[in-house]
Amino acid sequence: MPAIRHASKRKAPPAGFTDIEDDLLIFSNKMKDAENETTVNVPRHQAHWKIFQISHQRSRYVYELYYDKEAISKQLYEWLLKNGYADAMLIAKWKKTGYEKLCCLRCVQTKETNFNSTCICRVPKAQMKEDQAIECVSCGCRGCASSD
Amino acid sequence: MLKSTHKAVAPPPLAEGWTEHKAPTGHSYYYNAATKQSTYTRPVAPPAPVTAPPPPTNPNESFLQYKGVGSLPSAGPTFNNDGSQGQFQGGRGGFQGRGGRGGHDRPRDSRPQPTDKPKTRHPIPGCEPWVLVHTKLGRRFVYNTEKDQSFWRIPDKLKDGILALDQQRIKEKAEALSKAKEPVDSGEAPGAAQRPGQAAAAEKTVEEGEAAEDSSEYEEVEVTDDEEDEENPAKRQRTEEPGQEEPIEFNEDDIAFQLAAMGQEYGLDPGEYGDDNMEEWEEGAEGLEMTAEDSAALFKDLLNDFGVNPYSPWEKLVEEGKLVDDLRYTALPTMKARKETWEEWTRERIKVLKEQRAREEKKDPRIPFLAFLQKNATPKLYWPEFKRKYKKESEMRDSAMTDKEREKFYRDHINRLKLPQSTLKSDLSTLLKAQPLSTLNNATLPSHLPPAVLADIRYISLDPSTRDPLVEGYISTLAPPPESADEGESEEAVKERKDRERRQKALEDRERHVAEEKRKQKKSLEFGKGKLREEEAEIARAMNITKKGLKDHLMDLDDAGKPS
Repeated sequence: MPAIRHASKRKAPPAGFTDIEDDLLIFSNKMKDAENETTVNVPRHQAHWKIFQISHQRSRYVYELYYDKEAISKQLYEWLLKNGYADAMLIAKWKKTGYEKLCCLRCVQTKETNFNSTCICRVPKAQMKEDQAIECVSCGCRGCASSD
Repeated sequence: MLKSTHKAVAPPPLAEGWTEHKAPTGHSYYYNAATKQSTYTRPVAPPAPVTAPPPPTNPNESFLQYKGVGSLPSAGPTFNNDGSQGQFQGGRGGFQGRGGRGGHDRPRDSRPQPTDKPKTRHPIPGCEPWVLVHTKLGRRFVYNTEKDQSFWRIPDKLKDGILALDQQRIKEKAEALSKAKEPVDSGEAPGAAQRPGQAAAAEKTVEEGEAAEDSSEYEEVEVTDDEEDEENPAKRQRTEEPGQEEPIEFNEDDIAFQLAAMGQEYGLDPGEYGDDNMEEWEEGAEGLEMTAEDSAALFKDLLNDFGVNPYSPWEKLVEEGKLVDDLRYTALPTMKARKETWEEWTRERIKVLKEQRAREEKKDPRIPFLAFLQKNATPKLYWPEFKRKYKKESEMRDSAMTDKEREKFYRDHINRLKLPQSTLKSDLSTLLKAQPLSTLNNATLPSHLPPAVLADIRYISLDPSTRDPLVEGYISTLAPPPESADEGESEEAVKERKDRERRQKALEDRERHVAEEKRKQKKSLEFGKGKLREEEAEIARAMNITKKGLKDHLMDLDDAGKPS
């Protein structure tokens, strides 16, 4: 493991980072809280939902800043990806049609399910049998089909 | 303002063995521990409906409590009013209405019904037990005080007397007009306007010994009192309390309450809220329509005013909940619309910020650092020491400058401090002379020197006390700035501001409009509720005919059969 350098010795982040620094800090604090939360009374499959959620939110935040609002530079965007502020693989999916709102990568892994299908949250609301409230097992998503 | 002279008279004492209790609803009810009976009707000591009241020791008192007229047309003439407000009920206990009989079988919640009530009564000359009763709505009926009978249709035998009475009244009216409101002799005077404010005195006169049944003065007094009730809104709240103490009777309090309720229901509301006002509002609403763009713009104004960071995520904004309290938050109806507007706004705002930054000269990070150096650097400290000492300062942590640069500046500065003053001064003057006239001229303020000067190490080498006079002197020798104009921007700003004001006004108008709508709706709702209550009460009354009530009714029918 490489030594962690002191902040003053590190290369400064690209310009524009100061604009989003505070919000990223909020996200990382939330993530820390979620990581440190007790899982004593939580069902086992739900233990990681919060973490999935926050990482999704943060990735979405970075994605929108760069692609929708064009608020950050390419350098900064790449720097953010490199430093783990956003999930590049998830963002790569969001760029494809049909996956614009994808909640997490696990939910499209057909090979990980018994019937070689995607997660229930990928089913459009219109095709659900009745108005049943679903929360998917992997990340607690309530539906992330593009048509919803 | 006239004050009501109405006084809640203590209810008659309870019969032996009965105790009074309050139900959770606020009604009082009565319980007899011996017989384990409970009732809403007040069991008075001398059982009023059954036995005649004992000969009163004090005639005034008995008069107050059991005025012989008792229930006026309890089973007599009933009539519907134009407003379908239910039926006129049970008189006012013989215009006195405390204690007496009548109305026993009426449920208490029949409050808002009667809109009509007896107003004045006059003995018919020549036909003594009969009196002519005028109601509030201008109708009249005849009433036999001895037999407790009343008729809408005037029996033939009374017609002559009534004719005479009418003539007399017309005459009196003419006299009263000529006398210009001089109080007429109270005996047969019909005008309730006779003494509008003297009801209290009148009540005293009653106590002074007018036990006679057909003393019309007393009735007049009562009428006056009641009319005051109806006119005096302050009374309305009060009437509820005494109303609860007397659950049996349909008496003055009840009537006052009903009047109040009626007034609330329709009579007073339009007057209170004022039609002219509403017209105004409508006008305003017509004049300033809220378009979708306007509401979006309002929401954007809100975002601007709260200094929302356009880079922050939407969730943060929602979680903070700062905006919710603002009126402009409601300009947009749904959260989705808000989010869309917010997105649009962030896009615009970020664009603006970007442009601003591009236009703005790059804020040189060296300027604050050099100012910091001038303040804190001493030849006594080496760079590492200096760095350690001030490592918490923002100038030392700024990521725009590297440590190497900082170190270089520090060393240079320390070295320059050792040079003679004259060299430093000449260096400064060469620096100033090198500035073009567009950035440095005689209009430049010494506090706003061009960044090129501020970011130079030569500028900080001299102590401010010696440097500033030099700089000022040099500036004063300079020529005026070359002309340049940028007033278009200010015009734009003015336009922007006007637009914004207009939107604000539109929002306010809409709010007012909405409030008015709400009030209207509430009113209609209450009106509907009142109606419903009435109907319910009517049904309850219909269901509630007891044996006694039926008998009463039949008896009345029999009685009515005889004279007519």
